[in-house]
Amino acid sequence: MAPIRDKFTIHSKAVVCQDVELKGDITIGSGSIVHPKATIFAVAGPIVIGSGCIIEESAVIVNRRREVMRIGDDNLFEIGCRVEAPSIGFFNTFSTRSRVHHTVRIGSLCVIGANCVLAPAEDDALPDYTIVYGPSAERRTWTGKGKIQEADLRRKHAEYLREMLPKFNRLRRGDGT
Amino acid sequence: MGPNVLYHCPCLSTSSVPPPPHQISSSYSFHPLHELFFCEECDAVRCNRCVSVEVSGYYCPNCLFEVPSASVRAEKNRCARNCFMCPNCRNTLSVVPSDPPDAGDGRLLAPISTVGEPPFFLYCNHCRWDSSEVGITFEKPTGLAAQLQKLEDSAPDSLEFDRLKEHFEPIIRASSLSSSSTVPSTSHSRHHSNPITAAASAALARDIPGVGKYTPLTRSGRSSGKDRSANKDEMPEYKSRLDITKASAYGSGGGDVDVDFMRRLETVSEVASLDQRWTYSWSTSLETRDLKPLRIPLHSKHSKRCPACAHILIKPEQKAQSVRYKIKLVAANYLPAITVALPHQIEMLGHISAEATKRGTKSTAEDDRDTRGGLQAGKTYPFHMALTNPLYDPIQVRLSVQRMHVAPSGEGEKARRPPFAISIPTTPFSVAPFAEAWEYEDDEDMFALDDDELEARLSGREKEPKAKSKTVGVLEKRANVTVVGGEVALGKEARGEIKFNMLVAYTYRSDDPTPSEGHDISPSKKAVPETKTFAFYTVVDLGAIIPKDEDSRLEAYNV
Repeated sequence: MAPIRDKFTIHSKAVVCQDVELKGDITIGSGSIVHPKATIFAVAGPIVIGSGCIIEESAVIVNRRREVMRIGDDNLFEIGCRVEAPSIGFFNTFSTRSRVHHTVRIGSLCVIGANCVLAPAEDDALPDYTIVYGPSAERRTWTGKGKIQEADLRRKHAEYLREMLPKFNRLRRGDGT
Repeated sequence: MGPNVLYHCPCLSTSSVPPPPHQISSSYSFHPLHELFFCEECDAVRCNRCVSVEVSGYYCPNCLFEVPSASVRAEKNRCARNCFMCPNCRNTLSVVPSDPPDAGDGRLLAPISTVGEPPFFLYCNHCRWDSSEVGITFEKPTGLAAQLQKLEDSAPDSLEFDRLKEHFEPIIRASSLSSSSTVPSTSHSRHHSNPITAAASAALARDIPGVGKYTPLTRSGRSSGKDRSANKDEMPEYKSRLDITKASAYGSGGGDVDVDFMRRLETVSEVASLDQRWTYSWSTSLETRDLKPLRIPLHSKHSKRCPACAHILIKPEQKAQSVRYKIKLVAANYLPAITVALPHQIEMLGHISAEATKRGTKSTAEDDRDTRGGLQAGKTYPFHMALTNPLYDPIQVRLSVQRMHVAPSGEGEKARRPPFAISIPTTPFSVAPFAEAWEYEDDEDMFALDDDELEARLSGREKEPKAKSKTVGVLEKRANVTVVGGEVALGKEARGEIKFNMLVAYTYRSDDPTPSEGHDISPSKKAVPETKTFAFYTVVDLGAIIPKDEDSRLEAYNV
C-alpha cells in the first residue's frame, strides 16, 4: 500500500490543537476548531473540512475511499463520534458516540442522536432536516423551528472555543509534511 | 449464562425446604443475593415478593420536586410545574422562544435577546419535536400548567369523567350514610372521598344471611339493613354527554374515524405506536400528529416492611434527589455471598482469548467456548465456590447438599433429570471477618498478587504446583473470602442443567443479649456473647451439560 503522504492545509484562523492525529491530505477551513485528541485520517482520499466546524475530543473522521470527503460549514462533531460519510452538508450535529457509515451521504441541518448507528446496507442519502434519534435510530423530519437560535448558538460556541482553547492548549500551526 | 448461585426465600411458607431446582416452577423462589432483604427481628430472609410495600413519597423525575401526597390526587399523579413529556420520544420538553424574524439572507441582523420572543412553545431536544405541530403555544414562558389547564379541562374525556363522578357521588353518599351509624366517631365509614374505600365499606355493610352484620364501632342490632340493600339496587340511569358511537369524532379513537384514517395511510410512521399511546389516561386517536405533550407522571419512593413483624427493612431518604437509604437491611450485609466458578472454563477462556489475539478472528472463539469449556457428560469437573463474609465477626460455615429426588419421567424413557453426583466439603470451615483493606496484615501485596494470579490462570499455567491435587475442601483463605472446592461427576447419560440445592448453615458470635431472657437485667456490663446459627438454602447452577452424542462434533474442534 502506498504510504500516506501528509499534506495539511490549515487556515490561519482555524484552531487546531497540537495533540490531534492527522494523516493524509487534509484541508481545514477558516474558523474551524479541532480539539485535542481528535483523529482525522485521510487514509485513501483527501478530506476537506469547511469553516466553523467544531470537532471535539475522541471524534474520528476517516476517509477510506478514493474520492474527496467534503464536510460543509458549521458542523459539530461531538465527543466519541465516528464519521465516514463521503459528503456532509452544513449545520449538522453528530452527537456523542454516534457512528455514520461510509454508505450515507448527509444533507444539511441534520442531527444524528447520541449513540445512534447509521449503517445502512446500501447507499443512502439523508435529506435535509433529518433527525435520527433513539436506540433503533428512528428518523423524523424537523420542521426547522428554532434553527436560527441554534445557528446562533453554534457560532457562539465556536467563538468561545476560539478564544479559550489557545489559552490552555498548544496549537499546531502551519503545514506539516 | 455462567455458573451462579441463587438464594432461596421461603416467603412465609411453613416448610423451609426449597422445591427441587430442576422444576421450572421453582425458579420463583430463588433470587440473587442483591435482591434480598434480611429482617433482624425474625432472623429471616425476605424477598421482594413477600415484603409489604408502601409509598413513602412522590416526586417528579424531571424537576425532582417532592409532591405532598395530598396534591398527588389533586394533580392526577402528574407534575404540576411545567414538566412535560414529549409524545414522540418521551423525553422532557423544554420551553423555548420562537425564532426572531428571519431577514432571509441567512445572517443575523440583531443579536438574539436572552428572553426570547413569544410565542413560546415546548420543544424536545432529542427528537426535535415541538408543540407547534399540535398547535400548542404559550404567551409566557412560566405558568404553563395553568395555561394548559383550560385546554385539558375542556377535553371531552375529562368532561365525561366529571359527569360520571357527579352522577355517582350522591349514590355513594346515600348508601354510606345509611350503612353507617349516627355515631360521629366513625370517621372511616362516612364521607369517603375515595370511591374505592366507599364501595368497600358499602360491601362490608351489605346484608349477608347467616353472618352477623359488620357494624364498626356501633351498637349492634341496627335494623336498617333492609333499607341498605334496597337502596343499593336502585340507581338513576346515567346518560352520557355524548353518544358513544359519535365520540370517536372527538379524537378518542375507535370507530369509523380509525377506518378512514387507515385508508388514507401513507407511511407507517403516521400511526402512533403503542408506547407512545399508552401513557395517556384515556384512549387517544391513532395518528401521530394528534399526540399531545403530557405532563410527566410522578414516580414514587417505596419503603418496605417485613410481612411478619412489620419492621421496616428499606426506608429511602425523603429528598427526591438522594438515592441513599435511612434504613437498609439488605441480605448482603448479613448472609455470606457465594459465587461459583468452573476453573476449567476460565482456563479455556484464557486460551481462547490468547489465541484470538494472535489470530485476530472472533467468530470461531464463540463456538469453541461452548464446547471446550462446557460440561461434557461422563466427565468429572471441579468447581470453586467463594464465600465472602460480610460480618465483623468470623463465621463457621457448614455446607450440605440437599438430597434430590430424581424421578424418571416414565414411559420407558431414560431419566430426564441429569444424574450427577456432587461432592463438597461437609466439615465446617471458618471465614474471616470483614475488615478494611489495610487491616489484613498478612496479605500486604494481596492486590498485586491478584493480577499475577489472574494472568497465570489465563495463560494456562497454574501458579500452585500440580502436586496439590486436592479438589474437594478448603482451597484458599484470603481476607474475608474462603474458596472451597467441590467436584461434580456427570453420568454418561446426563443431560439438562446441573442445579442442586445446597444448605448453608453458619454460626457467628453475636453480642446482642436476647431481651426475652432478661428476667432481671443483671448489672454486669459485659454482654454475653452467644453463638447464633442461621441456615439458608441456595441453588447452585453450574450450567448446561453437553450430552454425549454431540461429542463427536466436538472432536473436530478439539485441538
